[in-house]
Parts: sequence; structure tokens; C-alpha cells
Amino acid sequence: MIEEILDNYLRFLQSLNVGHFVRLFWFYIFFEFIRYFVIEWIVLNIWRLSKYLNRDKYEKARQEFLFENPLVSIIIPGKNEGKHIYKLIRSLKEQTYQNIEVIVIDDGSDDDTPTIGRDLEKAGWIDQFVRNEIRGGKASAANTGLRFCKGKFIVHLDADCSYDRDAIEKIIIPFYLDKQVGGVGGNVMVRNYKQSLATTLQAIEYFDTISIGRVVTSKLGVYRIISGAFGAFRADVLEKVKGWDIGPGLDGDITVKIRKIGYKIKFEQDAICLTNAPGTFKKLAKQRLRWDKSLIRFRIRKHHDVLLPNQSFKFSNFISFVENITYNLVLNVKWYVYLSDMIINYRSLILNILITNFLLYTITNFVKFVLYSVYRKRSHAPMSYFLIYIPCMVIYFGYYLRIVRSVAYVQELFFKLSYNDPWNPKKTSQHAKRMGL
Amino acid sequence: MEEKKPEIEQISDSVVKSDGFSYLIIDRFDGLVVEDVEFHDAVIIDGRDEAFVRQIVRRIRAHKKHDIYLKPVYILRGATITDPFIQKLTDGTLYSLDQLPFLKDETERIRTRSSELKFTESISFEAQMIEKVICFMYTSEDRVLEPIPYVYADINYSYPILSVNFSRHDEHSILDILEIAEKEGIFESEFHDKVYLCGNCNSGRLSYREVCPKCSSSNSKTQDIIHHFPCGYVGPIDDFTNEIDDELDCPKCNKRLRHIGVDYDKPSVLHTCNNCGHKFQDYNVNAKCMSCGQDQRAEQLAERTIKKYTLTKKGEMAAINGFVTTAKDIEEIIGSVKYETFKTMLKYEIERLRQTEGSSNVCAIKIDNPSQVYSQLGSDVQKDLLIEIVKVIRSNIRSSDIISFQNSSTIVLSMNEIPTRIAKKILSEIIDILKRLMETTLKSMEVQFHTHVIPLDYGMSPEMHIHQLTKELE
Repeated sequence: MIEEILDNYLRFLQSLNVGHFVRLFWFYIFFEFIRYFVIEWIVLNIWRLSKYLNRDKYEKARQEFLFENPLVSIIIPGKNEGKHIYKLIRSLKEQTYQNIEVIVIDDGSDDDTPTIGRDLEKAGWIDQFVRNEIRGGKASAANTGLRFCKGKFIVHLDADCSYDRDAIEKIIIPFYLDKQVGGVGGNVMVRNYKQSLATTLQAIEYFDTISIGRVVTSKLGVYRIISGAFGAFRADVLEKVKGWDIGPGLDGDITVKIRKIGYKIKFEQDAICLTNAPGTFKKLAKQRLRWDKSLIRFRIRKHHDVLLPNQSFKFSNFISFVENITYNLVLNVKWYVYLSDMIINYRSLILNILITNFLLYTITNFVKFVLYSVYRKRSHAPMSYFLIYIPCMVIYFGYYLRIVRSVAYVQELFFKLSYNDPWNPKKTSQHAKRMGL
Repeated sequence: MEEKKPEIEQISDSVVKSDGFSYLIIDRFDGLVVEDVEFHDAVIIDGRDEAFVRQIVRRIRAHKKHDIYLKPVYILRGATITDPFIQKLTDGTLYSLDQLPFLKDETERIRTRSSELKFTESISFEAQMIEKVICFMYTSEDRVLEPIPYVYADINYSYPILSVNFSRHDEHSILDILEIAEKEGIFESEFHDKVYLCGNCNSGRLSYREVCPKCSSSNSKTQDIIHHFPCGYVGPIDDFTNEIDDELDCPKCNKRLRHIGVDYDKPSVLHTCNNCGHKFQDYNVNAKCMSCGQDQRAEQLAERTIKKYTLTKKGEMAAINGFVTTAKDIEEIIGSVKYETFKTMLKYEIERLRQTEGSSNVCAIKIDNPSQVYSQLGSDVQKDLLIEIVKVIRSNIRSSDIISFQNSSTIVLSMNEIPTRIAKKILSEIIDILKRLMETTLKSMEVQFHTHVIPLDYGMSPEMHIHQLTKELE
């Protein structure tokens, strides 16, 4: 049986010419390979070169920052996160930059978070523990935190993360490199990469797609999401946009809001944060459904004006949106078009096409993984550990995430299910739904 | 048959006799010598002025001599006096002097019980205080030493018979002394309450305030925080008020707030310090000491337990046989002799003078503020202080002269075969040296000395010499 398939496949390969190859694998060649490998690799080199050329400028900015020594307010909003706070605070106490104030906001926790928070405050480990007796959602908790901040910069962290010793220093420097920068996203990596296959695959995704992808989009000026796990903002800019709006997806939303009032958004690869990724594919699906719905809710609906040629039109914002919509929503649809195209027109070759696609993607993933290691600052895990898992990435990216994304788009486009997500309290979501926010 | 009226004899303006007992009547400060109490069987204080009564009672009960502090004290026309402190330290009230015969039994009882007591004249301050308390309890037939909540006490509670011996600022030492007595088995205790005292000066006169956690100012403004559901804006209520009407408008989305719980809520409060501008949610609770002005966190206060003490059988026996502590009494200090020995030697010196007609003297040096010294130095340092004082005296007098402790605050010494004038001069020099020594070693506290010298008179007994000497010092 296998011999027959192999034999059949070899004959298929021998029969392939360039025209035939392009016709059968147009999706991979024009979208995946060009966008996610060729362009990415070119931009990465440009980024690396400019980083080298601007090293003196970077050092000057760093010196300026350290000389000014501004107060950095760190806000950590969350519900029932008490058990994580100690580990997080320990990593903050180790920071090379110490002119920080740490404010933990408890969004109506019903566990022992208030006790833990008050104890840490009393012990001087955190500067303020603020409690909202009634849960209002992540946005309201973060906005409450803003009320207590005194810093020139605000850093938003997630309670279940921990940070490199120089993370705070590194995430603030870009504000001194370019005065037009309004927000900087940190580099999130997976701490529990060994926990399960799901976390291992996510770790590879964070290395190659999320982190490298953000380096590229940041360089192109179209970086579109400051992760809620680690993001820094100018306090005056947050004041101008009046803080966070209702989520889920509030971190992407605030990034757009800051862009819309004319500020730049940057990604800082060296500012490293470790987070715990969902340990099962079921939990991961839940997380990604939430993330993917926000594309429809925020890009297509709430901020659709970015695409219109009005007074506040900005080309970079326009490109950022188009790129985001194209390579997520449109390509997701196109993939189904491609699949249908192959099934309808090349039904007899479908197995060979699937095998070839699998090989093409796997080879690309291997090459990317090895090649991109040059551009990664450092890793908290041995790269060799991940190599054997690379072939799984085809299934993970090509099928699992794509299906989850498709479900999310349908749920949000036709049913607006993000407004029913218990991640946010109903009392706020129903208003957001009514107002189209 | 007509009942025979009891006889009341007016001896003088201030002394009456009834049933063979002499009552000293105190109705004014002028001309009052507390030591005169010793020569009477009981004291009657005019009770028209509560403050006056309080002061006289204090002076009698605070006296070091048991012949004075154990005397029965009655209040004349004292029905209006409600001060528990006075009530605890007095033995009864009467409406007129005609009622004196009714005091006979009580006066007799106290006198009898006082006569059963033996006093050890310990030179340990704690021992002296414990002895005083248990003797007073024995004569009063009151086995319970109960703390009373008392507004004039710096620790908010008073054990009257102990408190009278301390100034308000040093009253906290009472708790230490009672603990020692409990450890000695003199008392059994029972929890009564807890008090929190200033970490700096041990005063309980504290003002508790909610203060800014950054600058400790109590000047702050409190506002509700509003969370506007539709746009997620969170801010103090001031952000939502407008100048036109009483409505609340969201500064982020300009929508009007309609209904709490529906489109907005108030999840918490925001305190803003008017002094430093710090914004916070939880106040610190600070206690400001009204005695020394120290402002401190509630956690920094000294927590003390107030107990109710009951005299044990051992305590009662200690009162009768004289209390000598095993742990806290000060051993004989090198360079001094025991007080009994001193009195014997004084007797021989008087006898010698009768035959030789020489000039010898008996002198006393008294620390005027012993309770303050004790409360601030503690028992060990106080002992070291006494040793140092004896060293100084010893190095300035001749080796044939004798030093002894009458009690923990009074040193007596004989200076034989020198004129009184010279003895006074030597004593004055000793005091100068002692003062300089105290200034250099105890910078935060002044130790006050009082001295007196009397020439020995072979017509007087040793006891009379000492009585005269100590009377002058009081």
C-alpha cells in the first residue's frame, strides 16, 4: 500500500514542470512562501542592518533614559491571580531598572487574592494593591490602575508572566529612540514549553511566527498588537485615548487607538517576557477563538474607518489593516478556495498534492527555524529540543489553527459571539454590542 | 434610759479624738506636712473639692513610710466624689464629724492588721513597690488588685496603690513590676484587657487617624470611582461632573450616566492626599502620641496586657513576714553595709559621743525621682547606677565612715569626727561629682539629688536621728 503510494508520488514528482507546480501550489508560492518567508527574511536583514548602523543612537537613547530616570508605573490587572503574583513580583524586584512603582489591580476576585495582595503591599513588595469589589472586566481593572499611576510610562503586565532582568529597561528605550513612539510591545515567550505537545508547538509559533512576525511588522511600521502580557505606553498617550476599551481583544484595540491619534507602535524583541501557554488544544482553541474574533470585531467593525480616506487617514495604518485582514481573513478564505480548486480540478492528484504541500511547509518551517535563530536574541530553551516537533507545525498551522480561525470568523461575523464571552462581564459587553464597540 | 453619746474631743483645728483614736483633719494645703500623718491613727480629708482630695490621697499613699501610706483615710462630705481612683485609696466617707465613732471599728481593724506586718526595707525599687502593694492590700483586706479605666492614667488603666508612686509618664513601669510580682508567686493573674502604648514614650494617650501611606498626612479627599460600562472608562466622580447640572457625563464617550448597576457602577474609592498628591485606596492607620508627639504605624505600638491580680497565700505571707524577692532584690552593694548594721553602728557612735563630746554627723542623699529613674533605666541599669554612686561617695569620704541604703532611693552615711560644716561641704562636693557623672552617662535623663546633714546628738536615739533626717528630705 505504502509502496504504491510512494511509487505513485515519485511519478507525480517526475511529471511536474514549473507551470504545473505553480498551478498546483499557487497558495503556498504566492502567499505563504513569499509573504512568510521571502519578504520576512529580507525585512529581517534590513532590520538587522539598521540595528547595527543605529547602535550608537540606541546607546545614546539608553543613556538619555537612564539619566532622566523616569518613574515607570507597572500595572497588573486581573481576577483571581493572587497565586501568580509572588513569582511575578520576584522577577520585577530583580529588574535592572528600579525606578518603578508596581500597582496590582484586583478585579473583584473571589479567592484569596485580596489577602495575598494586601500582604505583599504591607511587606513593601508592591506599591499599591487596588481592589474593585465588583468585577468590571480587564479593561476597567487596567483603567482603575491608571488612576493610581504616577509614572511617565505605564507598563501593562499579565499576572501569570515573569520577566527578564532587563525587560523593563529594554521596553522603555524605544520611547527615547523616537519621540513619536506611543507604545512598545514586549517579546512574549512560552515558559511551559515542555508541558505538552500543545505548549511545545505554541513555543515554536511564538519563536517564529509571533516574535519574528512582530519584528518584521514593526520594521515595516505596520505592527498591530501590543501584547497584554507585556506592553509599555506613554502615560500622556494613554490619557489621550482615555485608557482601554472593553475586550476581549482590548490590547489590539488600544494599539489601533494609539495609531489613530498619530503615534508609532514598536516591537522590542529584547524585552522578554515568559508566559504560561494553554496546556491543552481545547484550552488553546478557546484562547484563539477569542483572539481571532477580535479581528472581525475591532478591525472590520469598530475601526473600519482606518480603511476610509477621511481626515485621520494614515497610510501606515491603512497598510497595517489591509495586511492584517488580507493575511488572516482573506487568506483563510482563499485557503478554502485553494482546497476546493484542488478537489474539483485535481481530485485524482489530491493525495500527492497534500503530501507535497506537507513537505513544502515542513521544509520551509525547518529552514525558517534554523535560519531565524540568527535573528533571535536568545532563547530560554535549547533549539534542538524543538526540531523533532517541526513537522507537526504543518498540522498545527495549516489545519488546527486555520480551522479555529475559520470558526472564530464565522461566529463573530454572523453571530457577534465575542460579546457573549464570559471573559468580560455581561453588563459591559451588552453595552459594547449595542454601541458597536 | 438615755443612750450615752460617744465622746468627740476637739484637740486643735486639725485634730480630733474619738474613742481614743486621733484623727488628723486635712482641709487645706496651707501648712500641711504629710509626715504629721504618722503621729495620728487616721486621716480625714475634707471632700468638697475632688481635685484637692485626689492630691492629698496621692501624697499620703505615695509616701515611702508605711506608717504613713497604710493609715486609714476617710473623706468628710465625700458623697459626691465618684473618682474610682480616690475610692480605691480611701477607707470610707462620713457626712459629719459626729459620725467619727462609726469609724472606730475600721480604724481599729486597719491598725491591728498594720501591726501584724513586718517590713524588710529592701533596696530594690521593685521589691519596695511590691511590698507596698501587698501590705496595703493586706490592711485593706482586699485580695484583688483590679485595674480601673482611668482618664488621668497615661496607660489608660490605673492600679491606684501602685500608680500613686509614679508620675503619669512613668506609669507603664507598673506593668513590669506587677509581672515580676506574678513571677514571684505573689499574685495570680487573670486577663482583663490589652492596651497599646506609644513605642517611644509608653504613653497610651494616642490619637488614631487614617493617613496617607506615603506621607502620613491625615489631610485627604475621598471620592467614589465610577466605571462606565459602555466605554470602560474608570475615574473619580469629579471626572463625570459638569458645570451645568447635577448629571454625570462620561468624559470618554460623552454619554450621560443613567442608572447605577445598568450602565455604570462604583467598584471602589479613591483617596487623594492633599499634602503629597498620592492616590491610594487603603489608608494606613497611624497613632499619634499626644504625650511625645510621635506619629507611628499602629503595628509599631507596644502591646501590653492589663491583668487583674489576686493576692496568693504566698503573697499574703510575704506581706506579713516582709517581702524579699529572690530575683530582683539588690544584693548588698560593695562599700555599703546593711541598714540594720548601720543603725547599730549609729547607736554605738552616739554612745561614744556621750563620753567624748566629739562632733559626728549623720547624712542622707536621696534620689528625688526614683520612679522615673526606674522606669527609664530598668532594674539592672538602676542597680549599676547605685553601685556607681556608692563608688563615688566611698572615694570621697574616709574609710572609717559608713554607707548604707535606707531604701532604693535613699543613702545614709555617717561622717564621724568632723565638724558638720565640713561634712556639708564634702556632701556638696559629692553631689557635684554625682551630677557630672549622671550628665555624662545618662544624657537623656536628669537624676535629681537631695541631701541633708544633721549633727549627732547624744540626747537623741538613732531612730530619732534618722526620722529627723528623712523628714527633712521629704
